[in-house]
Amino acid sequence: MTWRALTHRFVAVPLALVAVVVAWNVYIAFNDHGVIEGEVRDRAGAPVAGATVIFFERNFVYYEEKQRATTDAQGVYRFTDMKTHVGQLEARTADGRKSERRQLRLWFRSQDTEVPPLVVEPPRA
Amino acid sequence: MPRPSRRPPGSPPHWPRHAIMIVVSFLMLIPFYWVVKTSLTGENIYAYPPRIVPVDPHLFNYVDVWYMIPFARYLLNSVIVTAMAIAGSLLFNVAAGYALTKHFPGRRWVVMLLLSCMLIPFQATIIPAYLITSWLGVLDTWLGVALPLLSTIICIFVFKASFEAVPPSLIDAARVDGLSEWRIVTRILLPLSKSAIATNVILTFIWSWNAFLWPLIAIRTPEMQTLPLGLARFLSVMEDTTGALYAFVVLVLIPGLAIFLMAQKEFIRGLTSGATKG
Repeated sequence: MTWRALTHRFVAVPLALVAVVVAWNVYIAFNDHGVIEGEVRDRAGAPVAGATVIFFERNFVYYEEKQRATTDAQGVYRFTDMKTHVGQLEARTADGRKSERRQLRLWFRSQDTEVPPLVVEPPRA
Repeated sequence: MPRPSRRPPGSPPHWPRHAIMIVVSFLMLIPFYWVVKTSLTGENIYAYPPRIVPVDPHLFNYVDVWYMIPFARYLLNSVIVTAMAIAGSLLFNVAAGYALTKHFPGRRWVVMLLLSCMLIPFQATIIPAYLITSWLGVLDTWLGVALPLLSTIICIFVFKASFEAVPPSLIDAARVDGLSEWRIVTRILLPLSKSAIATNVILTFIWSWNAFLWPLIAIRTPEMQTLPLGLARFLSVMEDTTGALYAFVVLVLIPGLAIFLMAQKEFIRGLTSGATKG
């Protein structure tokens, strides 16, 4: 009788929703350290060391610079404690090359994310 | 072995009627489809020619809504107010509906008074409603927002019609067995009035969930706002957020649609039984 009552749609649907919400929040709890990382490469695909990667956070009407990171010898950069869910990433090198701004949209705030490589190119003449 | 047709011999085929109904359903669903499509793409709704199929759909507009405004707080307020309205309306409408099945002096006048009160729009009574709510000290509270829906005349008559459809001999037998009036209602009448209960629940849910004018007047602090007020606030403070706006609309619609889809059988049965037996 009790198990049969659980299969009634008025019970099963809310229970299913609660299960989804709980599972989603558990997933968030394990993946919300605010780490955003990726690589910077040149057009040939080689890693670019010492490049500056800028994270722009979306304000209501524009994007403002929020944080900077520098790539290591393998061209890897890493932002930590990023408490946002939307922004843009851009890589710049000391010799004037830079990447296109990449839109970053996350499923929740502080989501740990691995971004596809940013490719730096020389400025157009 | 071919399946025998349920259509009586000589009667016209069903498919033309079904085809017309499918076309009409499709036309009725177009606005909903457009809202969902815009929430997934964020494209300009005035774009010409309009795109039927969404291009590059995504769910990030819903994420934006969740973080741009205190959606969870609005949702909580709406859920609590709606739950209070449903619980209160069930209690008071059942009691009033049962009372109207009894014979007492002036019953006809009470019924006439209730029916005539249905002609008065809520907007006309909103100042007295505000003064009463203020006098009770429940302005800017969940109870104050739910107050006007704690009893509704339509649902009183739905319960009255449902209770009158129960054979009087059944109630007389319960009374002979020593059941009190309250237990007759809860043990005999309500189990036989599931359609009326579903109708009451769904109607009260829809009215409470979509209520805008009364919450706008009764609520003063942003923390107490419900989803429709949140939608108005969202429109007033955000710009260039077509996709997020439509995502908000979809999020407001989903609970109502889910409740209706879960209870549509009881809902339709409750309304039609009220119409034929009242």
